Amino acid sequence: MSLLKEHDLGTPAKPGPATVSVEVDGMPVTVPEGTSVMRAAALSGIDVPKLCATDSLEAFGSCRLCLVEIDGRRGTPASCTTPVAEGMKVRTQTPKLEKLRQGVMELYISDHPLDCLTCSANGDCELQDMSGEVGLRQVRYGYDGANHLAEKTDSSNPYFDFEASKCIACSRCVRACGEVQGTFALTIEGRGFESKVSAGGKSFMDSECVSCGACVQACPTATLQEKSVIQLGMPSRSVITTCAYCGVGCSFKAELRGTELVRMVPHKDGGANEGHSCVKGRFAFGYATHPDRVLTPMVRESISDEWRVVDWDTAISYTATRLRGIQARHGTGAIGGITSSRTTNEEVYVVQKMIRAAFGNNNVDTCARVCHSPTGYGLKQTFGTSAGTQDFRSVAKADVIMVIGANPTDGHPVFASRMKRRLREGARLIVVDPRRIDLVRSPHIQAAHHLQLAPGTNVAVVNAMAHVVLTEGLVDQEFVAQRCEDFDGWAEFIARPENSPEAVEELTGVPAEELRAAARLYATGGNGAIYYGLGVTEHSQGSTMVMGMANLAMATGNIGREGVGVNPLRGQNNVQGSCDMGSFPHELPGYRHVSDDAVRAVFEDMWGSSLLPEPGLRIPNMFDAAIEGSFRAIFVQGEDIAQSDPNTKHVTAALRAMELVVVQDLFLNETAKFAHVFLPGTSFLEKDGTFTNAERRINRVRPVMAPKTGKHEWEIVAEIAQAMGYPMRYDHPREIMAEIAALTPTFSGVSFEKLDKLGSVQWPCDEKAPEGTPIMHMDGFVRGKGRFVQTPFVPTRERSTRKFPLILTTGRILSQYNVGAQTRRTQNVAWHPEDVLEIHPHDAEVRGIGDGDEVTLSSRVGATSLRAVLSDRMPVGVVYTTFHHPVTGANVVTTENSDWATNCPEYKVTAVQVGLKHSVAPVERAAEELRVPATVD
Amino acid sequence: MQSPQVRLVNEIAVQFHHWAFDDAAEAIAAHIRTFWDPRMRSELLRRVETEPGELDPLALAAARLLDR
Amino acid sequence: MTAPVTVYVPCDSAALSVGADLVAAELEAAGRPIRVVRNGSRGMLWLEPLVEVVTDRGRIGYGPVEPERVGDLVAAGLLDGADHELCQGVVDQLPWLADQTRICFARVGITDPLSPEDYLAHGGMAGLRRALARSGGDVVAEVTESGLRGRGGAGFPAGIKWKTVADTPGPDKFVCCNADEGDSGTFADRMLMEGDPFTLVEGMTIAGYAVGAQEGYIYIRSEYPDAVRTMRKAIEIARAQGWLGGDVLGSGVRFDLHVRVGAGAYICGEETAMLESLEGKRGMVRAKPPIPAITGLFGKPTVVNNVLTLASVPAILADGAPAYQALGVERSRGTQVFQLAGNIARGGVFETAFGLSLRDLVERYGGATRTGRPIRAVQVGGPLGAYVPESGLDLPLEYEAFASAGAMLGHGGIVVFDDTVDMAAMARFAMEFCAEESCGKCTPCRVGAVRGVEVIDRIVAGEDPDGNLALLGDLCELMTDGSLCAMGGLTPMPVRSALLHFPDDFTARH
Repeated sequence: MSLLKEHDLGTPAKPGPATVSVEVDGMPVTVPEGTSVMRAAALSGIDVPKLCATDSLEAFGSCRLCLVEIDGRRGTPASCTTPVAEGMKVRTQTPKLEKLRQGVMELYISDHPLDCLTCSANGDCELQDMSGEVGLRQVRYGYDGANHLAEKTDSSNPYFDFEASKCIACSRCVRACGEVQGTFALTIEGRGFESKVSAGGKSFMDSECVSCGACVQACPTATLQEKSVIQLGMPSRSVITTCAYCGVGCSFKAELRGTELVRMVPHKDGGANEGHSCVKGRFAFGYATHPDRVLTPMVRESISDEWRVVDWDTAISYTATRLRGIQARHGTGAIGGITSSRTTNEEVYVVQKMIRAAFGNNNVDTCARVCHSPTGYGLKQTFGTSAGTQDFRSVAKADVIMVIGANPTDGHPVFASRMKRRLREGARLIVVDPRRIDLVRSPHIQAAHHLQLAPGTNVAVVNAMAHVVLTEGLVDQEFVAQRCEDFDGWAEFIARPENSPEAVEELTGVPAEELRAAARLYATGGNGAIYYGLGVTEHSQGSTMVMGMANLAMATGNIGREGVGVNPLRGQNNVQGSCDMGSFPHELPGYRHVSDDAVRAVFEDMWGSSLLPEPGLRIPNMFDAAIEGSFRAIFVQGEDIAQSDPNTKHVTAALRAMELVVVQDLFLNETAKFAHVFLPGTSFLEKDGTFTNAERRINRVRPVMAPKTGKHEWEIVAEIAQAMGYPMRYDHPREIMAEIAALTPTFSGVSFEKLDKLGSVQWPCDEKAPEGTPIMHMDGFVRGKGRFVQTPFVPTRERSTRKFPLILTTGRILSQYNVGAQTRRTQNVAWHPEDVLEIHPHDAEVRGIGDGDEVTLSSRVGATSLRAVLSDRMPVGVVYTTFHHPVTGANVVTTENSDWATNCPEYKVTAVQVGLKHSVAPVERAAEELRVPATVD
Repeated sequence: MQSPQVRLVNEIAVQFHHWAFDDAAEAIAAHIRTFWDPRMRSELLRRVETEPGELDPLALAAARLLDR
Repeated sequence: MTAPVTVYVPCDSAALSVGADLVAAELEAAGRPIRVVRNGSRGMLWLEPLVEVVTDRGRIGYGPVEPERVGDLVAAGLLDGADHELCQGVVDQLPWLADQTRICFARVGITDPLSPEDYLAHGGMAGLRRALARSGGDVVAEVTESGLRGRGGAGFPAGIKWKTVADTPGPDKFVCCNADEGDSGTFADRMLMEGDPFTLVEGMTIAGYAVGAQEGYIYIRSEYPDAVRTMRKAIEIARAQGWLGGDVLGSGVRFDLHVRVGAGAYICGEETAMLESLEGKRGMVRAKPPIPAITGLFGKPTVVNNVLTLASVPAILADGAPAYQALGVERSRGTQVFQLAGNIARGGVFETAFGLSLRDLVERYGGATRTGRPIRAVQVGGPLGAYVPESGLDLPLEYEAFASAGAMLGHGGIVVFDDTVDMAAMARFAMEFCAEESCGKCTPCRVGAVRGVEVIDRIVAGEDPDGNLALLGDLCELMTDGSLCAMGGLTPMPVRSALLHFPDDFTARH
């Protein structure tokens, strides 16, 4: 496709039906009330000249190019700020308007460098366009007057420049930073002719700027410009695709020259992001072409051997032969595999199919095991399906937003911007988090309640909230009676005195009155929406907590319409999809248990293979079985288990114990150190398929270049299956999706053709909902009635002790992603060069730790070292770190504790000790030398 | 070293302590049937024979329900 | 023993700037037991400090009294109202005062500004009491009927604005008083706030009651520290008196006031920029619509009126709309508080019904120029107002008459220039002022004003005068028609009037 430029309608759409009819230059158009004259004109096909207006921002009225004449009205009002009125007759082209517009452009150009031909925005400059459009032929003021041509360029940001001499002071960047992103890092400094865009008086890099790029996108000139455009020039074609970072799943226009990616521009029609992005999605794509990428297959007999580069046929037959050999010696169940939440649905699907049909067992699991498996379990138990209930857009209708164990500002920034917009509009906020995350108090936002609980006490808190709802008569009786079951037993349980806020106050650290107030607000403040993250799931009671939240939402009737719901913020781009695609050992695609004969029969028929009716091994079970000896080979698709799974020592022991470890990845990661076959994978820029985001939205991933490895990942998997004697062949990923749709009722209406037509759909997408389902459980729960499940609080076994008196909890930071395999290979390291340990000044003081000191962090299973940062965001007794850098090795200290129902690791609670580094004990130093890190989500 | 299966079943059992004993045992057994690989179930049953004292009484009762 | 003599020494900052505090101190130290009352200014600034002594004949005025002359004056019998070269006689009978129609300024200079007793004794709170006895809608109707128009400059009918706010539903509404009196040659807002702050409190409370607002803000420019102090004290006193708070005058009505201080930007006198500033943001003009009456402070329906508008309201409610409406001419009803400044013999505040001619005001009451030279031009309505040539002085002081003459009354500021004035320089100054004070939001104002200065410089330097005059004309048209607010939109007014009436001043100098 050639370069896609969306039609900019000038001002945002107004809600409601089109009821107001106007005429623009004689062209009739009918638009919703409140629509600007400018937008109405654009919709009628007439673009009024403009510079300060763009349809992602509220009208501003500053450039004065868009003046029009309206019959019966005085003067020349600005069309961007003037709303339509019934019967209005607008004239956009008159001699008077022409003169005024030329006058405006004459002023602009009298203070602008005249370097159009060598300017980086040449061809993509609205100032240039407007000069042409208004017919500017001379600048009578000359170019000797006062000007800004000597303004200095700020190149501090690694991804974009701020060339102030080209600024036309339209404030689009400032407004984008506030309205779209919600950071408010930019402002206009000075006044009048001295008005200057300023990042709070600092360089962009030293400012509050989070480098989301909204300002760059909003800039109509070359003033804020991607460095890549400055270096490479204007792109010439666009490919619409989906970001491969977090579970928000933003749509992008990948803009290229030939096959060279020049820049990523968020796509306005993207359902998840509607034209916004974060620093990772927009800028951090350099890893895809990083020299560290391995592009050829490699094999070796033993992990002590050097890698041997081989061709694809050799690698594939080597893999198949060894897998079959192991099965011959140790049984069908001795091998298995792990699917990746970073790959496409189609790529996941073929891996699980290979395992179930070609391997002949159900030993398939996915990295969701270590992040949102409790979501799957908990929501299935209560609502009947394993997915968030809302689309992201729903947050705009929420009145009370409860964020539990999630830090969207850093983890899901584009959704956070949507949420913040709603909060600025007046929605109330409840934050449940041990840490005072940014959201608690950020520009124009302040949480009504921050329940700063002790790590590991989520269930006690949610139970106490439910207790308040029940005992204070705040239950939505009608909803419960009509839509739910098992309420009475639950009510009896939750009403028990031990669940009262007062009873759990000491344990949770949350003042009972604060908790009561929060519960009342959630229950009575209008639409109540819960958003949660890994601070909910990565606990030994993760599944219980998910059910506890579901109970609370049902009891208050906050399910089944816009603005409410229980919503997991998914970590990885395709964690929802990898779960949907049958990656769990007990479930076939579409969350159907392997023991269901009827379901199995459908698959057996389609796949031409008999399937086992018994669940297979989960990831931690695989490790246990490997050490015990019954599990001998593993196929690992795009997950660095040696880095990301807890208790690194245990994981690496399991990997060493196996005869064959096959790794399919972009980079030689930590797991590859224990591998015998390395199958180079493809980056999202090469993939062709679909990702499913946290709102169940199936988005197309389109290749912008051919696979650098020569083979698509699904081809590799199919060829291994073939080589193992199981016929599997696809010519295009659309065939894989067709097979998924044929086998999976909730996907029955999904096809590449439909996705190309509609942009995206949210499953369930079937005959009943051919265009998908933005909001679930509207008329009834998937399981029929919503089920209340009793959720007793059983504390974790992990306790602070005399030896390990602090509790470690973990999270992430905006600029880095997960174990950092990608982001560390981009300039995002400029923001986060290392992981640090946040520690409360009091805890630091008693240990003699100063800000910036190198400290050791040790638990009963291991130790590592990193720099301490004193911060009162943490309560006393709790320390916090991120895990983006391998050198930190947070998972050296995390333990084998896991969620009781799903074995999701308890990453969020580890008893630790922290000390100055020089006092490190020899045994801890030994553990530290492992230098293998970090959790995944 | 404690068997992983014993540790896991005990962790499940403790979540069901508030239930009536028999219902709890049945629910735990159902959970295990739904989510555990057969070899883990066999290993659990072996442990039931060799080290019943390591198991939560509820876990023990549940495990015995698996033994058809 | 006879009661001590009451002596009035103004505390208005115009009086303070010429030593009123020292005068008061000297009087108290003069030996005789006296009671010094610090009143507002009578508005005869050439007489400040104007000391008034209460006598059987009335309040006898002396001025201007320099502190070092107090001793002599007392010795000469000032405290008994004795004659003296500085004695002005009975103040109320001075033609300057006697010819005025003081409604807005009725108490200014007469009372102790912070004495609630004085306020009540001089008719204070009658308007509010009368308002509270009626419905909010009736109050709005009364204000509409009075013909009161916004005194800030735009002259928009106050009643219509109030009705819009009253009719816009919503639990939160505000009344904002624009006291960012930035026009050159204007000082009436300040004098009212320093001289009779309770009137503003009362007027705002009436507005709040009428439209259903429970909170009001007075936005005062930072250059007015005395006014800020006085208003804040007045609000405290009013709360203590039960004039503000949860139960205004025992009516159950809730209304409270807060003072906010600007930060030196002229543009914050523009109502939307003022609202931005009140919200804690950079003082930048908002596009209208939406109008503040519907989407105002913090997005809520808001009455924004000037000090003089709101201070006129108590009298309208107390005496009824017809009494007010009876004053003035045409569509300009009631009184306007004119401020005489610049090169003028007798500067000060002159409140009169609309319709007096500019010449009468400037020559009869103002006494023409201070230098004694002929008047060449008078700028009316602040730095963005037109220059009226001497030949145009017979213009009646009335909104529409001024508008049709290409001029405006504005906030009633009148600045007089004698025949030495260089009108090209004055035109340049208008552009310079705009460049200096523009908020920078819209292009015609932000860039246009700077270019305006440059173009005038070129004209005066003789550089392509025809081309540059045409360019200046186009620029004036663009600024007038294209600017976002009145700042850029009115800047061409003085420029064009100078070009029109004094074209010779724009020819090249050699």
